[in-house]
Amino acid sequence: MPDITLILLAAGCWMVAAVLPFVPPVKEGRLSTVVGALGSLLAFVAALHALLSGHASHVDLRLWLGPVRLEVDALSAAFLLPLHLVAGLGIVFGLEYWPANLAKGFGRSLRFYFGLLVTAITLLFLLRNGLVFLMAWEAMAVSAFFLVATEHHHPEVRHASWIYLVCTHTGTLIITASIILLAHRMGGFPWLPISGAAEDLDGWILLLAVLGFGFKAGLLPLHFWLPAAHASSPSHVSAILSSVMLKTGVYGVLRVSSLLPTVPAWLGGALLALGGLSAVYGVWNALAQRDYKRLLAYSSIENLGIIAMGIGLGWTGRATESPILAALGFGGAIFHVWNHAIFKSLLFFGSGSLLHATGTRDMEALGGLAARMPRTALLLFPAVLAVSALPPFNGFLSEWFLYRGLFASLKGGYPWSAGLALLALVLTGGLAAVAFARFYGTVFLGSPRSSAVDHTHDPSALMLGPMALLAGLTLAMGLLILPLLPVLDCIIGLLAPSPGGLSAGSLAAPLASILGRDLRLLLVLEGLLLALGGLGLAWLGGRKVRAKAPPTWDCGYAAPTARMQYTGSSFADGWALALPGVTRRVRTIRRLFPGPQTFRLKVVDAVGDGMVVPWFGRLAARLLRFRRLQPGFLALYILYLLLALLAVFLWLLVRGRFLA
Amino acid sequence: MSQPLLSTALNLLLHALAVLLLPPLIPGLIAKVKARMAGRTGPPVLQLYYDLAKLSRKEAVFSRTTTWIFLAGPVGTVAAVLVASLMVPFGHTPAPISFEGDVILFAYLLGLARFLTVLSALDTGSAFEGMGAAREVTFSALAEPALFFGFAALAKATGSLSLAPMLVGHGLTPQAQGMGTAAHLSGPLILILAGWSIVYLAENARIPVDDPNTHLELTMIHEVMVLDHSGRPFALVLYGASLKLVVLGALLVDLLLPRLAHGWMNWLMFLAGLGGLALAVGLVESMTARFRMTKVPQFLLAGVLASAFAFLLLLV
Repeated sequence: MPDITLILLAAGCWMVAAVLPFVPPVKEGRLSTVVGALGSLLAFVAALHALLSGHASHVDLRLWLGPVRLEVDALSAAFLLPLHLVAGLGIVFGLEYWPANLAKGFGRSLRFYFGLLVTAITLLFLLRNGLVFLMAWEAMAVSAFFLVATEHHHPEVRHASWIYLVCTHTGTLIITASIILLAHRMGGFPWLPISGAAEDLDGWILLLAVLGFGFKAGLLPLHFWLPAAHASSPSHVSAILSSVMLKTGVYGVLRVSSLLPTVPAWLGGALLALGGLSAVYGVWNALAQRDYKRLLAYSSIENLGIIAMGIGLGWTGRATESPILAALGFGGAIFHVWNHAIFKSLLFFGSGSLLHATGTRDMEALGGLAARMPRTALLLFPAVLAVSALPPFNGFLSEWFLYRGLFASLKGGYPWSAGLALLALVLTGGLAAVAFARFYGTVFLGSPRSSAVDHTHDPSALMLGPMALLAGLTLAMGLLILPLLPVLDCIIGLLAPSPGGLSAGSLAAPLASILGRDLRLLLVLEGLLLALGGLGLAWLGGRKVRAKAPPTWDCGYAAPTARMQYTGSSFADGWALALPGVTRRVRTIRRLFPGPQTFRLKVVDAVGDGMVVPWFGRLAARLLRFRRLQPGFLALYILYLLLALLAVFLWLLVRGRFLA
Repeated sequence: MSQPLLSTALNLLLHALAVLLLPPLIPGLIAKVKARMAGRTGPPVLQLYYDLAKLSRKEAVFSRTTTWIFLAGPVGTVAAVLVASLMVPFGHTPAPISFEGDVILFAYLLGLARFLTVLSALDTGSAFEGMGAAREVTFSALAEPALFFGFAALAKATGSLSLAPMLVGHGLTPQAQGMGTAAHLSGPLILILAGWSIVYLAENARIPVDDPNTHLELTMIHEVMVLDHSGRPFALVLYGASLKLVVLGALLVDLLLPRLAHGWMNWLMFLAGLGGLALAVGLVESMTARFRMTKVPQFLLAGVLASAFAFLLLLV
């Protein structure tokens, strides 16, 4: 059976899974979980097959608005894989995390919109028609809105979901403009690669696409909806929003650019800069957050920034016809799309089990959970290392690709932009380590900071199983990169077609020829690292804990309490205080034996809450003037219609008479 | 054919021996220099070997708040730095493993070591150790750009992204530029040396950034993170610290060494260079006081700027 049929079948499965909880006899949602997971398995296998075989398969439909092609090629398959990995695991995770028959939990609507979201995103990756693409985009945006608003009895959740809705629709407007221009350029809505010479319009189409899809991907000035929306939604939904829905923005940009004959070089440089800024800004904000889900959301901004850097580098390579830059940039970007999907969904699942066990999103209330939830702590450990880009986990390798690309561009003619991007990547790596050492240290290590930790325990296998699979993948993707290289080449070929057109092959050099030997040696060293780690642990002989272990020595201090520990806020003090948007109020201590003191730390998003939101507020106030045109009389509206019609007729008359 | 193979094998053996056995000597040398400068006899040069031998026989005590993460710190540090050492050439002897991009693995392995040390410090739940960990991550995020700008400058100068050619074949020394005397060290090289020296002092927790000799001062960074380690884990901590002194020291020493005719001369030259570095560190520690905490970021920033200027000089 062709892959496309299987994937459409999977989309059907998800639709059924969405509706099933409303059918009376199967209210619990177990059947719907099985159907959804089955759909994801089907789609995953089909996408994997499409990617490995390298053949695109398609079906053509005739709708009332013209021919619509649904096609799965390497690029679609590359994004379908993480979607169905996370969606399948997410619905299994959700079975215990958010049961469908909770008295007040909106479990059924959650399942419905979850299924709808997965179906919409699946179709989104398949559709090759601008108009229908926009419809799927809208279905995705709206179902994500309802998912974010699941706990709509909390006012801050409603606020977050409204901001999300406004932002996504602003983005959709810009995307619509881009798609209309694209249709103008192609002479129709069906998407076919444009051959022939480049036009000035191409740059505008792509710029609009970057802006519009950038809203979805959370690139810098357009990111402000993201932290609140991801923090307020249920955790398995956050996982899919962060690791897949943000990537639809990446997919959109890549798809549009793959249709155009050329990419202007300045746009590559601009995206590289924007990505670098987003990455540093995102991770810097991440290390100041108290809410661990907000922290993870900011880290998504960082990682999407890194992906954007890769795309920018790839576009530069495509514009300057540099095979190495194109291969390393696009290769790094796609590989990071996968890796981020894996470790970020693992982190969000982990945050779900934390929330499930403790009921709080405040890091400062937690602590010492590694002793109480040992399995969760063990499973999140690889994720924390991977997101900090530390070897031997997968996050390191995709950043390694980017470093190689940036150094290649340093040698090959773009020293300034490469130097700055390099600085951004180094800072990002360093600050990510701060942010996630803080996360892991505050939540899992030390001793409990509040009573929220008292009765915690590991979740059941239904929640741990998906996490264990993802944790295994963070290591496996890090160590089994070599077989993936030809697959990446296949995708890069679509993104960087040679100037002679797609049929002439790929502009990019095969990754295996650039990186093969280096990666082999790198993997040897990583294997050695693991072996040495194992040897070292064996030498220490495990922890022979004595029957009555002593308290922490702490320089012999007699009565340590948990409140004396470093908190998450104090841990990140050095960097967080330098962040614009962080204000700290401490009274200076003036006399001996001071009384109780207060300390207040406030973190707002300097760009989002500090600049963009007030700016929109002012704009909205200006636009209120037009409110007068809408007084609520039906007669007046009919008059508007008539006037508009009259104006059109007049215009036609005038044009016919004078301009013809 | 057999001749190069033999010498490669010999070099590999020497490299492994140097990495495994040499490190504890360096802190001993530094301590000796400091003692002499202060007019004391000081502990024997081999003191750290004795300490390690003793610690590895002693029982370890684990606090009741700690978990397995507490062991990951010492083990991970030693493993990561040992693996990193395989990519560093010792003088003009080629590194055992060398490939394009190994420099990034090198830097991130050091990052891994630091990350695990920080986590194992936080695992104790102690106020002191949390403080040390917070300082460590704050400062090292500043030290990393200094290291990387140096790498970027050398990569630009050599057109390679592998430690071995970058460090020994950078062509910035006077001999390579045909200038003859050491008085004409080129500008970028001086700047990289300056920047990396600061990184070296900071990463190895030496004065003026940190003081490796005291535990109880509130100004400590690295030492305070390992307060609760004892027995074999503490032996690994001490060994890892000395290993870092050698591996990062090799970066500095390699930049300056001239190429000599014979392999054994290169080895001797490298060992002499390491000894000289230990002497220099000892002298710096004897002559300067530790900075106040607020000054440390400025000091590190100076390192970043020095490396960044080296990079800029090579760009224009």
